[in-house]
Amino acid sequence: MTGKDEKVKPSAISAGDESGHTFSSLVDIYEEPDGTTVLVMEMPGASRENVDINVDKGVLAISGDGSREPVLEKCDCIYSGFDTGEYFRAFALSDEVDRDSIEAQMQNGVLVLRLPKASKAATKKIEIK
Amino acid sequence: MALFRWSENWDPFAGLRTIQKELERAFNRHAVGGYRGVGGGVYPPLNVYNGENEIVVECEMPGIEKENIDLSITGETLVIKGTKHLSADDESVRYQRRECGYGDFSRTVVLPDRIDAENIGASMDCGILVVRMPKSETTRSRQVKVS
Repeated sequence: MTGKDEKVKPSAISAGDESGHTFSSLVDIYEEPDGTTVLVMEMPGASRENVDINVDKGVLAISGDGSREPVLEKCDCIYSGFDTGEYFRAFALSDEVDRDSIEAQMQNGVLVLRLPKASKAATKKIEIK
Repeated sequence: MALFRWSENWDPFAGLRTIQKELERAFNRHAVGGYRGVGGGVYPPLNVYNGENEIVVECEMPGIEKENIDLSITGETLVIKGTKHLSADDESVRYQRRECGYGDFSRTVVLPDRIDAENIGASMDCGILVVRMPKSETTRSRQVKVS
């Protein structure tokens, strides 16, 4: 998975524009020395029960719900710096990623996905005979 | 001929920018929430609610441990300070995409009323900090009966 071939489903973008409540979460993607790709996605307000991760036809789709109960009944919002809603983002998954051993962890509103390289895709040194 | 130099920190457009932000906020509340695009916006984003007996400040800070948050209150000023670390603390990793910011941050909120500093409650859940501040007895509105 590289940043270049990352795709967001066009349908999801238009859905977000209409309601104004689907946000594209911020992500960090990095590769560890052993080839494992780690995807870190910020989804403030979303608990692990409200996050859905799907891999279908080479597309990794992550959605989550960050909406919650209002913090105060009967009040004026005197300053608004953020809004709550749903999160959605999708990525094209490289064939090198071992689909069966993807691990997900959710902590403090941050989703961490570990995408290990399939063993056959690991770098192999070829000796010249 | 009048000659003058702008001081280093003086931003001639600061006033205009403030007006633009306020207009965006007035006409389209979601325009402010649109910071989730890459970069931009003041960190951390927060909401301030003014209730009858309580003022609540809600602050979005995913991935920040509560040990790294420093809350202080002086009179009617709440200061939220903290540090956000880079997602990988290891230098051997190779970043392909880096959208989440990191570093020290500080935000100051001037509260609309005096509060009871002894009874402030702060909690952190799913990356959202909620600070509840009861209003001080002297500023709460009271019904006065005409005798």
